[in-house]
Amino acid sequence: MEELLQAIVQGFFVGSTYGLLALGMGLVYGVSGIVNFSHGDFVTLGMYLCLALFSAFALDPYVSIIVVLPVMTLLGAIVYQYLIRPIAGRHLLMIIQLTLGLSLLLQNALMMTFGGQPTRTPSMIESKLFIVGDVVIRGSHLVACISSFALAFLLYFVLQSTDVGRSIRAVQQEPRAAALMGVDVGRVQVMTFAIGIGILAIAAALLLPGLPIQPNQGLRLTVITLLVFVLGGMTNFVGIMLGGVVIGVAEAVGTIYMTEVLGQLLPYLIFIAIMLFRPQGLVWRS
Amino acid sequence: MLEVRDVTAGYDGVPVLRNVSLTVGKGELVGLLGANNAGKSTLINVLSGIVPVMSGAILFEGQDIAAMSAPRRVDAGVVQVPEGRLVFPQMTVRENLLLGGVNSTARPNRSRALEHVLSLFPRLGERMEQKAGTLSGGEQQMVALGRGLMAGARLLMLDEPSLGLSPLFVQFIFGIIDKLHAEGLTILLVEQNLALTLKHADRCYVLERGVVAVEGRAEVVRDDPRTRAAYLGM
Repeated sequence: MEELLQAIVQGFFVGSTYGLLALGMGLVYGVSGIVNFSHGDFVTLGMYLCLALFSAFALDPYVSIIVVLPVMTLLGAIVYQYLIRPIAGRHLLMIIQLTLGLSLLLQNALMMTFGGQPTRTPSMIESKLFIVGDVVIRGSHLVACISSFALAFLLYFVLQSTDVGRSIRAVQQEPRAAALMGVDVGRVQVMTFAIGIGILAIAAALLLPGLPIQPNQGLRLTVITLLVFVLGGMTNFVGIMLGGVVIGVAEAVGTIYMTEVLGQLLPYLIFIAIMLFRPQGLVWRS
Repeated sequence: MLEVRDVTAGYDGVPVLRNVSLTVGKGELVGLLGANNAGKSTLINVLSGIVPVMSGAILFEGQDIAAMSAPRRVDAGVVQVPEGRLVFPQMTVRENLLLGGVNSTARPNRSRALEHVLSLFPRLGERMEQKAGTLSGGEQQMVALGRGLMAGARLLMLDEPSLGLSPLFVQFIFGIIDKLHAEGLTILLVEQNLALTLKHADRCYVLERGVVAVEGRAEVVRDDPRTRAAYLGM
């Protein structure tokens, strides 16, 4: 029972960051209709940038966000403007091929630069533990969870209550009408993709402390993000965060109670079960 | 206020409009008539910057706006209320109207513009927090028109405002158009409904297969046999 509670709490905390990853994907999908298959590789890139800053200047991953966030956001804007925009609106397979190609490019570039061995990046709060009853909470998980929910709330607020957010939602719902109201649709699409990649920079720093990283982990992260994204109903904020928690808990529980292979399969089995009974996502309403 | 000079425009290099010229004076209500596929919506989209010009000039208050982007034209006051309303369905009426006033010229006057819109459409005041997608067709047309006014239109281009509405709502919407005209707003009205447009417009242009077939004062256009021919394809 204690183990189960521990797994649920840990899964909840890590899952909230999965939710954050999927929010980035949801934002981009909503505005451009693009599912980015290199999503996880951008997270990995963010992690390696944090590692590089730690190696060069002994910067903690949380502090590295100050540098990695603008760099990744700018990179996102460049990738959208020069790679994705020219084929946006074309056949879906072209976009899948392009983003998969980008995934391979990023993986190999990271492999060439950092090598293929798993690497860890220490953090100032990696070893901090909080004990609540029988549950041990790692400081990095607590920071990841609080930051992820805070960012999700901030993003929700911006989308609902500011002109920039309303413009993003307008482009999502009726791009032609948005253009006729003076919204620069192209600029909104570039900006949204850049924000989506910027979010990944923060998620990378939040997931990094204590986690062994490898250049080829991107696809696994992309698949997990896709599960959360689809479970959440693609563009529903609450649903996506809830989906993140479901996948995070399933992963944690599976790792404790099953063999390693079966444990890794559990999130996918739960995903299939939920899709069979609620194909519209966890909190979708008609 | 608006002068279109010998404009040729179309899609993928294929011209839909050929050497179209027209003028709209300040405070005028000009009707743009024609059968289906005559090029009316293409022309209005050319003026909005959605469809590029192949040749010719578009002068708005003396400035050539032919190469200007769609958002900059809205900043300048050239605003289109599109066919089919195209409200943002998942956004509330308030959000739709606020989004109308998002351009840099309209933003400083948004509160005053909102008051004006709500005085024209009191019903929207009762629906402010309702999702626009759940409104009736007539109410959505009010939102679309209100959104256009929020954008600070100096030239308001209405694309088929009567399309799909009940006769009562058509009467109401045209009453509003008359009121805006009386307030001095310049309006370019695209309509298939010949009788309705001739009744309300100062002058009209009839498009036929991408060229101006007839132009003049409403009564002149009504009596011209080419107008009927343009509609019936004779």
